[in-house]
Amino acid sequence: MVKTITLTVNGKPFSGEVESRTLLAHFLRDTLRLTGTHLGCVVGRCGACTVLWNGTAVKSCMVFAVQAAGDEIVTVEGLAQDQRLHPLQEAFWQNDAVECGYCTPGMLMSAYGLLKKVKEPTEEQIKKAISGNLCRCTGYLNIVAAIKEAAANFAG
Amino acid sequence: MDFPINPPIGDRVRRKETLRFVTGTGRYVDDLLPPGTLHAAFVRSSCAHARINGIDVEAARAMPGVRAVFTGQEVAQKLKPLRVGGSPLLRQIKLYPLAVDKIRYFGEPLAVVLADNRYLAEDAVEVVSVEFERLPAVVDPEAAMESNAPCIHEEVGSNIVYKYHFATDGIEKVFQDADVIVKERIRSHRITACPIEPRAYLAHYNRDEDSLTMWSATANPHSLRTRIAEMLSFPEGKVRVIAPDVGGSFGVKIQTYQEELLLPFLSRELGRPIKWCETRVEHMRNGRHGRDQIHYIEMALKKDGTMLAIRDKIIADMGSTYTVDHSIMASALYIPGVYQIQNYAVDAFGVATNKTTHGSLRGIGKADASYILERLVDIAARELKLDPIDIRMKNFIPADAFPYRNATGALYDSGRYHLALTRTAEMAGYEQLRKEQAELRKKGIYRGIGVALVMEPTSSSRIHATGGYASCRLRIEPSGAATVFSSMGEQGQGHETTIAQIVASQTGIPFDKITVIHGDTLPTPYGFGTGSSRSSVVLMPSAWVAGKLMRDKILGIAARQLGVVPEKLEIGDGKVFAKENREQSIAVMEIVRTAYGAIHLLPENMEPGLETTGYFVNPNIDYEPDEKGRMNTFSSYPYAAIVAVVDVDIETGFIKIVRYCTVHDCGNMINPQIVDTQQQGSIVQGIGAALYEELLYDEDGQLLTSTFMDYRLPSVEEVPALELEHIITPNPFTPLGAKGAGETGMLGPPPALCNAVEDALTPFGVKIRQTPLTPERILDLIEKAKVSKSTHG
Repeated sequence: MVKTITLTVNGKPFSGEVESRTLLAHFLRDTLRLTGTHLGCVVGRCGACTVLWNGTAVKSCMVFAVQAAGDEIVTVEGLAQDQRLHPLQEAFWQNDAVECGYCTPGMLMSAYGLLKKVKEPTEEQIKKAISGNLCRCTGYLNIVAAIKEAAANFAG
Repeated sequence: MDFPINPPIGDRVRRKETLRFVTGTGRYVDDLLPPGTLHAAFVRSSCAHARINGIDVEAARAMPGVRAVFTGQEVAQKLKPLRVGGSPLLRQIKLYPLAVDKIRYFGEPLAVVLADNRYLAEDAVEVVSVEFERLPAVVDPEAAMESNAPCIHEEVGSNIVYKYHFATDGIEKVFQDADVIVKERIRSHRITACPIEPRAYLAHYNRDEDSLTMWSATANPHSLRTRIAEMLSFPEGKVRVIAPDVGGSFGVKIQTYQEELLLPFLSRELGRPIKWCETRVEHMRNGRHGRDQIHYIEMALKKDGTMLAIRDKIIADMGSTYTVDHSIMASALYIPGVYQIQNYAVDAFGVATNKTTHGSLRGIGKADASYILERLVDIAARELKLDPIDIRMKNFIPADAFPYRNATGALYDSGRYHLALTRTAEMAGYEQLRKEQAELRKKGIYRGIGVALVMEPTSSSRIHATGGYASCRLRIEPSGAATVFSSMGEQGQGHETTIAQIVASQTGIPFDKITVIHGDTLPTPYGFGTGSSRSSVVLMPSAWVAGKLMRDKILGIAARQLGVVPEKLEIGDGKVFAKENREQSIAVMEIVRTAYGAIHLLPENMEPGLETTGYFVNPNIDYEPDEKGRMNTFSSYPYAAIVAVVDVDIETGFIKIVRYCTVHDCGNMINPQIVDTQQQGSIVQGIGAALYEELLYDEDGQLLTSTFMDYRLPSVEEVPALELEHIITPNPFTPLGAKGAGETGMLGPPPALCNAVEDALTPFGVKIRQTPLTPERILDLIEKAKVSKSTHG
């Protein structure tokens, strides 16, 4: 069944038709061609597809696109503003929190979701926020360090 | 040989490639979608062993959006079988991209549906019906060796598909005369790599050009190209393989897969781009698995702990549609490990079972060997009432014995094992830890201390296989920027950065002006897969050679123009200048203009342009065994010492890693930041292998752990603080002094944590012979030990 939906992605409005069974992750990647949101398991376990849905980090493989009708989505492509890296992106780069890069967008969005809600997160809060995001390359330590550093430089 | 190293080799330069990854602009195979692409989905077997009587695809062909359906029979008529690799010891099987008449493992691809999108393709898969006659499955490799076991490959006639024997002279006598013999059956359990990006392929046959482009999440683009050309009987020069950004491999993407060879065929048949991205469930069932060896191992010792000899029988579970055998040889050659043991015998068997195919996985074969050896050493120490550090120190190969040839002929480049373990013990405060342990035990806290020293042979080369050399082609462009074409792809290793560091140090071209192209077979020189940690051992030296040749060329051009001999010239700040008079100089850009446009000013006999190609041959490799069967197939030998501290909760069976102290030696580091991060990730992958991850099959050959729900990768919550240091013993056989860096970390946790847990549970007399150390298993062990104590003690 095809439905017409309107939603905002990275501040830009979208209006169009979508199959009702299409996952939000597939909609972002295949229809909008925002391929920064990655797919690693499509059953909500790896977190590579994490985006912000009305300000909260969610796994976009666990949501149908039609469920997000009328809502606001932010993907990794929406993090950098005016050609300037977001403090999280800068900190991930500086702290070598990235190897193959596949989990990185989801990791960044989970961290972004945390920092939007908690200004000075503890290490426990950081770990909890990314505990649903699997990384097989880095062993997570540099990622935690990067989020800590970014939190100090994050202004909203 | 003199190997000068100029900065910025050795700097913690931040990685070039990271910028595109943090902005979501990396390009992985799944991100590509050429117009007209058809999407593939596979019909897979629902049992592990069966004869196929028929596949009815008519209903699927009639489904909406379906453009074609192919069965194994249809494909086999039009294709050559896959070339199975491996050594001459491996019995060859016939393998096609889809099963033809027999199912050999659960999840084997039987038919493929091509549709306008993946949803429609999956819908059609649901309506394909497969008629099959179930055969008894065999999942236990020891049962598979029995003469009456169900035979998986009739053309081989036996499930024992590989045999290897090696023995040094007089070993029986050494065992007869020994004071003590310790024996054990130890199994390294089955795990898999699980890169977060599953396999992904996109094949595009272009009818107008009669050419084929294959985008693959592969760690081995050139070899894949050769195999595609071979199987399709298509000119190799018209096949281009591109590995764009690849989301991790850890060995699993280095082999060529059935689906990977099918897609180019389908694209040629249909004249459309064909795409298939694996689901996670498919990855768990069809991606290569690793480890899974049983060792019956025994060690002969003197009473004082001197190790005299080892005898081992290895039974390696190869799974079903096996294509390689190097895991077995890697285990067999390195069981003597880091100890001075020159008496050694091994019988190794590769056994086919109805399980997923075995293949490469970070530390392949060597991880099994180091785990089993380091467990056996602890068992011996316990038997002889020796401290686990003391018994190791007593038997390590001394630093002045390198290069050291072990009993099997393996030639270790360098090592300081005593120093590494001494430093680790100091870092951990070993003496103090033992005191604390005794105090805690009185309070009912079961703390354990585990010691291990693991060695990871890296950069393998085998005859008719991979890795004899690597190369890089370097061009300084007319703009003055440099481009390096690397023969090896990358899957997160940071080659774009490390190669640029090396080239910058040689040529004086600024780091930021160097672009590294890799993974695309069209512009890059032929090469082999990114495996066996060989990029730092052969690829980086080849970049160094290309840079050195370029440096010589730049200096040669400058010499003629300045009238100064090259030996008296230096490159710096965008100029070539005379060392004795810095005013006497010429801009590098001027040299570039000369090389391209004013070639009459070049020295006599110098080729125009600014292109060089560097090759580096894997050092010290023996391609044939000597008269006693000895040979060296790996060229560098990094290692790590570990002291791990755990607390075991005897009520819940839960293991908490209190500390993980390790000293790592991978020789010189081109970028220590990249090494540290890889090392951390590698250790965490090893923690997963030791404590959480296991591929489990039921007796019918059904995989029970095919999602991240039941195959548990470590999350951030499971990661302890890691105390990590390096000592640097340069590899004397490579220009950069580097050894492999990516795998040693993963080898540490299985022995170190098992040794620690057994140490913690000493009061119960628990023996660990099975891993991973899940809480359930720990509780079971404690319970059994209690029962056994009450019965016997």
